[in-house]
Amino acid sequence: MSILSVRDLATHFHTRDGVTRAVDGVSFDLAAGETLGIVGESGCGKSVTALSIMRLIPPETARITPGSVVEFEGRELTRLSEEQMREIRGKSISMIFQEPMTSLNPVLTVGTQIAENVWRHTGIDKRQARERAKEMLDLVGIADSQRRLDEYPHQLSGGMRQRVMIAIALSCDPRVLIADEPTTALDVTIQAQILDLMLELKEKLGTAIIMITHDLGVVAETTQRVVVMYAGRKVEEAPVGELFARPLHPYTHGLMRAIPRLDIDAETAGRRPRLKEIPGMVPRLDKPIMGCAFAPRCDFATERCRVEAPPLEDHGKGHLAACWEVARVQTVAA
Amino acid sequence: MTAYIIRRLFATLPVMAVVTVFVFFLLRLAPGDPAAIIAGDDATAADLEAVRAKLGLNLPIHEQFGLWIWRLAQGDLGVSIFSDLPVTRLIAQRVEPTLALTLSTLFVAVSLAIPVGVIAAWQARKLADRAVMVFAVLGFAIPGFLAAYILIWIFAVKLQLLPVQGYRPIGQGFWPFVEGLILPSIALGVTYMALIARITRASMLEVLSQDYIRTANSKGLATKRVLLLHALKNAAVPIVTVIGIGIALLISGVVITETVFNIPGLGRLTVDAVLKHDYPIVQGLIMVFAAAKVLVNLMIDISYAFLDPRIRY
Repeated sequence: MSILSVRDLATHFHTRDGVTRAVDGVSFDLAAGETLGIVGESGCGKSVTALSIMRLIPPETARITPGSVVEFEGRELTRLSEEQMREIRGKSISMIFQEPMTSLNPVLTVGTQIAENVWRHTGIDKRQARERAKEMLDLVGIADSQRRLDEYPHQLSGGMRQRVMIAIALSCDPRVLIADEPTTALDVTIQAQILDLMLELKEKLGTAIIMITHDLGVVAETTQRVVVMYAGRKVEEAPVGELFARPLHPYTHGLMRAIPRLDIDAETAGRRPRLKEIPGMVPRLDKPIMGCAFAPRCDFATERCRVEAPPLEDHGKGHLAACWEVARVQTVAA
Repeated sequence: MTAYIIRRLFATLPVMAVVTVFVFFLLRLAPGDPAAIIAGDDATAADLEAVRAKLGLNLPIHEQFGLWIWRLAQGDLGVSIFSDLPVTRLIAQRVEPTLALTLSTLFVAVSLAIPVGVIAAWQARKLADRAVMVFAVLGFAIPGFLAAYILIWIFAVKLQLLPVQGYRPIGQGFWPFVEGLILPSIALGVTYMALIARITRASMLEVLSQDYIRTANSKGLATKRVLLLHALKNAAVPIVTVIGIGIALLISGVVITETVFNIPGLGRLTVDAVLKHDYPIVQGLIMVFAAAKVLVNLMIDISYAFLDPRIRY
């Protein structure tokens, strides 16, 4: 049963230089309690997708185009008033961001920043909200929470700040948590701690998570289902095990080959094979793209790929891919 | 916090010491013999000597300096050459109008400029913003004395709503006191209003593009809270700095405004003393103005620590 359903979401940026199609017709569903990964390179539209669901895209330039549908618990979010949207943000759907160093307000105490979310959405008084803020700090594993309430973000480490962000995001028991590259800016050891914390709290609170990342390791560890985005479009979607076992889109295939693997290194000790990168660059999104957006970088591309955009097709086991050459990709991958 | 305030307090001492030395030597190093100017063109040598003795100018320079410091430490700024009254008393008589005018100008400027600047940043590049910017450019371009005459002509002469000029001490009733201050405050305040509004807008615009504002919006907070707490508190340091500079400029701007509106404050005392070469008064006034500016700076420095928890020198 899906609680969040995105259909044909398109977000375009209107600038002096023309229209940039940052997100161009993306659809997916999020089931209650599920963790869905959205992966892709920088600029593929994954963050804009997240911000579009929250309607936090810059209002001067960005537009969610008519026909886009973001349905949350039966309500169409793109049609809500700004005031109704504010009721949902932070309460039913909340978000954590990539940069813990800059995402917290430097001149307000940690306690205030957690508590204000609580009393904004629950109507309890400020003292109780502060009590709740302390509970949240305990929950995200910050020691000495009573003292930390009165500290400012600059007195905390990056990992602790991201814990505070998580505490804020989960303080009203949201149904959906959108995590936009939550561990990218952190040290590797801290990354693991933060991911473990998120998974643990998700179990405890039953929150569904959209995990946006470019890190396939994070995807493998945390998600049940994955959407792969390229140039503002969804190119593949599959349950996580299925995706790693049988990547169908050449782009996904390329991403997998770009992961360093210890076991291969061990077998070929001394003759470490070069990592395979995906040649070329992400296409510009300010002009309409003919055919498949990945075709210019794709080893499998044919004449057809350059003129006709491949539709998303179901290849069984909930595995969708948008590629004309799936059969050939599979023979190489196997 | 207390340690910070105490450190800031001590930091003002060297500044005041330099001002003291500067004020003393300023008049000794200035070209011309003060005694000759005071005594007049047809003074005899004996007259000159009498004036020098009266001013203490016949003593060796280090003794003069010692005497000046000794008196200063006792709060004695000397005696006016012409009226024979203690300078401290002359200044004290004139402090109220100047203080009232400075504070009311500041109140008018700040209480209008900050909301206007915040709205302009919030509505950036829209109609409200453009209107504010036009006003800011005009306000900055129009000299205070011109604004003063325009205001007098409209509100005092044509509409007869407010007095043309003059000052009523607060002791004579609150409303007459306020009535006399309205036009001078606006005339003097327009420039600062424009300046503070611009800085508020620029500073807010920068803050509004920060990640933590997006975080605040992702919590669904009301626009008012995002603007006035999350954004304005971060934008406050440059705004407060400019308000501080504004106060310093105001103290000098008061001279013109007091003349136009015929207000018997420190500005008028300064003009009169300079014209009559009444050096002890000029010295005293410089000391008072310098102390006022140092005090304002101190208050600004302390306010930084309250506004931004990261500031600790």
